[in-house]
Amino acid sequence: MGGFDFSNHNRNVALHAKGMPLPKATSTGTTIVGCLFDGGVVIAADTRATSGPIVADKNCEKLHYIAPNIWCAGAGTAADTEFTTALMASNLELHSLSTGRKPRVVTCMTMLKQHLFRYQGHIGAYLVVAGCDPTGSHLFTVHAHGSTDKLPYVTMGSGSLAAMSVFETSWQGNMTRDEAVKLCSEAIMAGIFNDLGSGSNVDVCVITPEKATLLRNYITPNVREKKLRNYKFPKGTTAVLNEKVITKEDISKYVTVHELQDDEAMDVDS
Amino acid sequence: MDTLVAQYSCPAIEDTTLDAEQDELLHGPDALSLNFSLPPIAQPSSWLRAMTDDASNPNCPIKIAHGTTTLAFRFKGGIIVCTDSRATQGNWIASQTVKKVIEINNSLLGTMAGGAADCQYWLAYLGMQCRLHELRNKRRITVAAASKILANLVYSYKGMGLSMGTMCAGVTPQEGPALYYVDSDGTRMAGNMFCVGSGQTFAYGVLDAEYRYEMEDEEALELGRRSILAAMHRDAYSGGFINLYHVKEDGWVKHGFSDMNPIFWKTKLEKGEFSNVTADME
Amino acid sequence: MASILPGAPQEGIGYSFSQAAPNAASEPRQHSFYPYSDNGGTSLGISGTDFTIMAADTRNVSGYSINTRYSPRLYLIGGEGPENKGARIVLSVVGFTADGSALKERLDNIVKMYKYHHGKPMSVSACAQRLSHLLYSKRFFPFYVSAILGGLDEEGKGALYSYDYVGSYEREQCRSAGAASSLIMPFLDNQVNFKNQYQPGSGTGHNLQAVVAEPLPRERVTQLVRDAFTSAVERHIEVGDGLQMMIITKDGVQEKYVELKKD
Repeated sequence: MGGFDFSNHNRNVALHAKGMPLPKATSTGTTIVGCLFDGGVVIAADTRATSGPIVADKNCEKLHYIAPNIWCAGAGTAADTEFTTALMASNLELHSLSTGRKPRVVTCMTMLKQHLFRYQGHIGAYLVVAGCDPTGSHLFTVHAHGSTDKLPYVTMGSGSLAAMSVFETSWQGNMTRDEAVKLCSEAIMAGIFNDLGSGSNVDVCVITPEKATLLRNYITPNVREKKLRNYKFPKGTTAVLNEKVITKEDISKYVTVHELQDDEAMDVDS
Repeated sequence: MDTLVAQYSCPAIEDTTLDAEQDELLHGPDALSLNFSLPPIAQPSSWLRAMTDDASNPNCPIKIAHGTTTLAFRFKGGIIVCTDSRATQGNWIASQTVKKVIEINNSLLGTMAGGAADCQYWLAYLGMQCRLHELRNKRRITVAAASKILANLVYSYKGMGLSMGTMCAGVTPQEGPALYYVDSDGTRMAGNMFCVGSGQTFAYGVLDAEYRYEMEDEEALELGRRSILAAMHRDAYSGGFINLYHVKEDGWVKHGFSDMNPIFWKTKLEKGEFSNVTADME
Repeated sequence: MASILPGAPQEGIGYSFSQAAPNAASEPRQHSFYPYSDNGGTSLGISGTDFTIMAADTRNVSGYSINTRYSPRLYLIGGEGPENKGARIVLSVVGFTADGSALKERLDNIVKMYKYHHGKPMSVSACAQRLSHLLYSKRFFPFYVSAILGGLDEEGKGALYSYDYVGSYEREQCRSAGAASSLIMPFLDNQVNFKNQYQPGSGTGHNLQAVVAEPLPRERVTQLVRDAFTSAVERHIEVGDGLQMMIITKDGVQEKYVELKKD
């Protein structure tokens, strides 16, 4: 099993002690939620990724595939949620190949918590795990230090309080699929509008015993309005000191050049 | 004794503020009030350092604008004063158009390095004191006296966190061309040549190599310009425009506030200097 | 961040509960007295031949929370009465709201008392210098605000002054201050002062002529201001909700409000 390379750790600690700032990790200051309904489970997330006060990605994917019947929403350090869920996806695939059964959600949750606990919170992954297996529909939260919860409706991330307030006012037992999707997206919207760490669009994933459906950009309430001016510079605006022309033939020595048809040509900002 | 104690101790609650404020409103403000409010804690200066000194604490919340390379030197034809124009707040370039030469009166100049506000405020204050001196004594203040007013003033605030490295350059009938260096530690020195600021070493490098007292005016102006250019080129905290002044017998003359970029390329292409800078692609 | 490197290396065996001591190398800092908070906000001012436009977003934040979606950051200074009727000077303050409103209150008092004493309104240049002195009077306990002052000068031209925290000031063509200033200022350098723009075909190599900056017409400036803010909203989490604009001309101050994205 792969692991972490700590060879720079002591050097970095020494540099930090001398006043060098640590590199900023892209974190998903996030709203993620999940909710059980009659016959399945829904999870949802916003799509903003931040680095400090700067929006690093306006439309990132925080809903991660783990197994055909298990999906996971991630908050915390973006790289950690991505790699942790990818690792679980691999391990569960191997596990189900070895056992010849569909993976169970508890198995996934247990593997996650054991993995995260081992790293004492240094892997900053905060996850909502949801899925359907032969034992029913399940919804869990897994914190970076390894603790877990099993609840009918959950929220995590910096927008968790805003989202939870929606659940606490409108949640009821035995909801239908559509009711649950609506409730979850409203909870995410509460996070998007009231938490600065969350923003942009709503992603939803509905999981039933039959199949999982990812509704990417289910709601897009924050479309950018058109700019009032055109910022295209006339050719020759930038001063050039020297020029070097690299021909297509030259480039072909290193990469494969693929001609695009006119209609699939990339749109240069007009 | 009690009166002495009363004189130097302050009441727990400042109950005179309102009166003072009303008084100020009624009678108009003091021309330049020297009442500075202090944070209500035991060690205002260390608190201020924690809040504003980005050298000791890069994450300090208040980043004060700093000025950077300035130089002045005496020669046959008077004094050359030259500065860059960049102000930085931490790593952020706050402005590229700062006037770092402050015209105190038509024969006295002050330069700005260190805290921009400190220099701006206290050199304006110095200008006021110089004018008062003129009115009281019916003659121009000497550069020696003017620089001493400033030196005494900053010395009285020593340890409070003022940050300034300034030069006073001027001509008077008594002294001729005179140049003084004054900084916020309280240092005051007369001299023939000073460079102040984070780019000072680069400026000294050029200035020391080429300086002669017997230079002609044009040569001296070019040397001032070239020295600042060297500093602007190598020091990240210096840049923008070259601000050039010549102090002569009958007062100072301004020789432009010019963008460094065309001057740099002109120097490189016409004189072959800065040959380390190339546009080669291999 | 803390999750990547949690402080100093631990000596010997580390127990899971022992909190690593703060870095020994850093000097002792005073934490008990921190009288500031950052309420975000971004402001922007551009001056033209016969007008000055001031603009600021209206979102007031603390941490990841929104305190209010409408807290005006542009203030009329001077004029008559609490409504500042007839005022021709606009102050924008961003940073710490409490310090900002205290500063505005003081400057407003001064400008109104000036008219009471002298029987004429204060000029923008005088007001700008007075504001610098106000900021400097708290040199040792600074106002945690970035201020921009806008108006018309004695010749009727647009005037704009920008300040640092302790009162160093300068008259400029354009300036952005506050949270997203680092996003907006480079845009302004390029679009208002035409930095790094050259006239195509005006020469080759070093003979290429730079585009000369000249005061822009009002309509164009208004568009630049709105584009600057809609773009800042996209990339800075503290900017949004609303854009308050004040356009100062010889006929008075015209106020506009435009909605911005609320996420």
